Amino acid sequence: MALNYDYDDTSETWPFFLLTVVLMILIPLTLWQLVWIFRGSDNEKDKSIQENEDIMEPLNDTYTLASIKKFRHKFLKERSNKIFNKWNLIIIASWCLVVFLIQRINANDAIKESTAGLFDPYELLGISASASDKDIKSAYRKLSLKFHPDKLSKDLTENERTVLEETYVQITKAYESLTDELVRENYLKYGHPDGPQSVSHGIALPSFLVDTTSSPLLVAIYVLSFVLVLPWIVSKWWTKTQAYTKKGVHTLTASYFVDRLVNYKPSEVITIDLIIKWLSNAHEFKEFYPELTAEDFERLLQDHLHRRDSGEQNEIKYRIVAKCHTILYGLLDVTCAFRNTDATNMTLNTFKCIVQAVSSVNDAEIYQLPNVDRATFQNGSVDEIHTLGKLFTYENDKIGKILGIKDSKKLEETLQVASNIPVLKLLKAEFVVPGEDRVTPLSVSHISIKVLIRSAKHKLIPVDKFPSERFEESQDFDDLKDPFAKQEQQPLLPYSFAPFFPTKRRNAWCCMVVLQKDSKIIQNPLVVQKLSLSNLKNEFGKLDVKDFDKDFNPEDWEIGTIKIPLGQQAPAENGHYYFRVVIKSTDYFGSDLDLTMDMNVCDPPKVEENETSYSDDEDDLEDDEDLEDDEYDSDFTDIDTDTEVEEDAVDEK
Amino acid sequence: MSEFNSTNFEGQQQEGFEYGSFNDTNGFFNNQTYSSNSTYNNTNNGTFTADEETVKIVPTSFYTPFIYGAVLLIALFFFSKYYKQQRIKQLSQLRSIFDEHDARDLYFEIKEMKESEEVKVHDKVLKAALLNRGAENIRRSFKLKELAPQVELLYKNGSIGEDYWKSFQTEIKVTEAEVKECIIEAENLQPGWPQLFLQLCQEICFNQALQRRYNSILERKNTCIKEWDLDIDGDGHMVTKKDEKK
Amino acid sequence: MSILYNENSKMISVAQPDEATEIFAINVAQINKLSKSIIAESNPNFTPKPNDNTTAMIQKMFQTGITKMKEQKLNDALKSISLAIEMATRNRSPYEAFALQLQELQFMLKHKIDLELVLGKPMDALQDLEMLMGTGLATPDVFIRLTDALLKLGQFNEATAVCERGLSLSPNETKLKALILQCNRLLAEYNGDI
Repeated sequence: MALNYDYDDTSETWPFFLLTVVLMILIPLTLWQLVWIFRGSDNEKDKSIQENEDIMEPLNDTYTLASIKKFRHKFLKERSNKIFNKWNLIIIASWCLVVFLIQRINANDAIKESTAGLFDPYELLGISASASDKDIKSAYRKLSLKFHPDKLSKDLTENERTVLEETYVQITKAYESLTDELVRENYLKYGHPDGPQSVSHGIALPSFLVDTTSSPLLVAIYVLSFVLVLPWIVSKWWTKTQAYTKKGVHTLTASYFVDRLVNYKPSEVITIDLIIKWLSNAHEFKEFYPELTAEDFERLLQDHLHRRDSGEQNEIKYRIVAKCHTILYGLLDVTCAFRNTDATNMTLNTFKCIVQAVSSVNDAEIYQLPNVDRATFQNGSVDEIHTLGKLFTYENDKIGKILGIKDSKKLEETLQVASNIPVLKLLKAEFVVPGEDRVTPLSVSHISIKVLIRSAKHKLIPVDKFPSERFEESQDFDDLKDPFAKQEQQPLLPYSFAPFFPTKRRNAWCCMVVLQKDSKIIQNPLVVQKLSLSNLKNEFGKLDVKDFDKDFNPEDWEIGTIKIPLGQQAPAENGHYYFRVVIKSTDYFGSDLDLTMDMNVCDPPKVEENETSYSDDEDDLEDDEDLEDDEYDSDFTDIDTDTEVEEDAVDEK
Repeated sequence: MSEFNSTNFEGQQQEGFEYGSFNDTNGFFNNQTYSSNSTYNNTNNGTFTADEETVKIVPTSFYTPFIYGAVLLIALFFFSKYYKQQRIKQLSQLRSIFDEHDARDLYFEIKEMKESEEVKVHDKVLKAALLNRGAENIRRSFKLKELAPQVELLYKNGSIGEDYWKSFQTEIKVTEAEVKECIIEAENLQPGWPQLFLQLCQEICFNQALQRRYNSILERKNTCIKEWDLDIDGDGHMVTKKDEKK
Repeated sequence: MSILYNENSKMISVAQPDEATEIFAINVAQINKLSKSIIAESNPNFTPKPNDNTTAMIQKMFQTGITKMKEQKLNDALKSISLAIEMATRNRSPYEAFALQLQELQFMLKHKIDLELVLGKPMDALQDLEMLMGTGLATPDVFIRLTDALLKLGQFNEATAVCERGLSLSPNETKLKALILQCNRLLAEYNGDI
């Protein structure tokens, strides 16, 4: 539609163009940054202090190696400083640019002229748009008295006189446009009382690009930046976003993990060493240190697990170990999608091993404590002690002897760590369909698990000591609307005791749901980071409690809730369906929970149906028989892949 | 973007011209048809008559946008060409989602050995190699079928990249082609054999899997002992800490 | 990766065994096993039909084991049954009907596992049980033995998980019900909760 092209000779368009582009990027960025600066700090501090005390944090600091502290200082400083960082500088610089542009626009006469050309009769007459004819007339009269060329004072300079005369013409035009039929029509149609004005279509090129003799070169640069540089930047950005999966793992790393699971050989048992080997092939490490090989990374990771000094490579070690956090979550994602329970469990075991810097899960509950002398521990005790709980059945002095700790202050700290590692005790687990008292066919349910978070030093509290009302699922409106809101209101877990891990970290529990029939994971793991640890403070030592009923008061104990949404509907057929729920901590050994749940699917109570348990059992027996004489087909996939058990048999039902 | 332009045109005459062309454009938009002839010519004539007054600027300012457009188009053209080339290169470089296809490679090696006639390879050895290759192909197609929903889920969740997804799709086609090729080879080795060949391959595939699993028992056992840090004597009995102390 | 061919034995072998990957070596072995079976076969259109001679041989060895078991010579019985399994995996042609081979192996393995458990070899039993599970055999028997083996190996957490799964698949199995109580007690002791 353009009839002629003009360059922006008077610089009236391109500053607007630039301003729009800059603001379009700058405003969201600034808001984001502000939210991050204010919200981020509030959240972290308020909620954790609210209930969960950071008991472990000072201990963690005490036992953190100097070299790790140095590493933290060097690599994690930027993140801690929220005010003076790269992004804020860019934002400030951009705002300066905006201010400059606005000033330029203000200082530009051409722009003013063109805005002055815009004709608004109401404004010229100084009245509102809803003014009546009478008002218009009176306003015009007043103004014309003031600006009429005959009435102007004679002292005015030539210049001022012209300006005022022009104003009078404008006022007259404005008046006419509101009263005279023809002029009014012109105004409504073309926006100006004189009829259509000239229209031009400009290209937002600043005049200096066109005016000067070097214009072809400058135009070429301008064109290049839009034709080549801009697409290049966009494509860079695009490939970068493409290069990482949603879990923040490089796609090459993710592909490698998938590859390992696809080509997984039956002779391989998935072990921690194997997973360490997989991790060391992560592309992220290669990006950090292109000169090192997967073997080097594996050696460094093993150094970390065995708490060996890597000399000059310590910094490299810390950096890759810190990165393992993300990579392990990526691996977890893949193993869960492959529904592989063994690989998932072992991935989480490896997670703990890396966090606590221990090389195997054997006796790791003990080795995660500080000051333990391994030789004394291995040779000393006559009884089998592998767990924290067992350890606390002894007097403190004896524990010191078992662990080989002589210094009483050190022993006290060790015991403090040991007693502050949360242990989960199952109180109640059920499938809940909001608004129903049972699981009906095809309903959407979630798993609700009530746990007692206790310390390993506490005496075991049998479930029946708690009044059963405390396990009841509340049925008020808010809970029915969002059954998961309550869980989010629990306090954030405090920092973990993990002095060998290069960064400070918080514990998390990964909750996996496994179908018992084929022993396969059915959905992505839920990561729980909100639970109250207030019970850990309670005095209820195994050796201290003499009279249980006298010392125990259920009100002293907080009950934690873990709710796991189920991604699938309940089965269509009535019957019992069994699920295994595995809740594994990412940071601590001895903090896990493994339970089997029975989903009893039955119709809503319309007519009283006499479903005796006998008939149910028969169904189950039949199911089992089906499993036994597996068909031909399912058999071969089973052995063939060595990870599959009875999948086909299940699918067919 | 419309604005008043005072530099190029002055006076009533130009206004009249602008007025006319303005109407033209309106018509052009109302009709929704491309009657470019009239509009374009009008513009041209109009502009060139006006040029006589402001000769200096107009020629460059008229052609530059076209040069601009041309450069843009050419650049895009080369870019798309380059991009396509890269894509083809990438696709050809996509690695198989399986480890090496040793069964196929071995078959070709034996076949080559037989054809070169340096050594006298027994006919049935080649048959055996082909059966082994066929069995491996069947294993792969089963595996692919079994993996398909999981890989799709991973892809949908954004847990794996575009490349892996593409190689997975390619792998399905490659494996299909492999199966067909094996059947042709079987027909060449022994006319009329393919039907029986496929049946045999299936049995072999599962038996081999069973065998591999059975053969791995010892290795698994050793790994397991190491992993659980157990002490087991040569006879398979457990040695506990307490026993050691005695 | 290059291979060598021996004209006398009609077997192939890896030229540089050190460089060969595990999978490559397995493939070479698989081809050799196939060659051996096919060369022994006179009919060019051989079918998956099981070889009666081999069946008889395996049966005989297995029966010897059963007899010895009845005579309470458990170690000898285990040896014979292991030998019978070894024979089945070695002498059967890879193209003989899989369904039959699988059944045969599962049947013999079950007896082997029982003997191993009685003779106090829980680790061997565990491996054989895992193999059985891998073939899709998930009967209460297998779960009972698996739990038993794991308890003997001191893996209380694993044992409990296996026992619970067994109970999920057959909720009325009394032996499993008894075992779960035992598991829980041992686990509580292990965790110092008793």
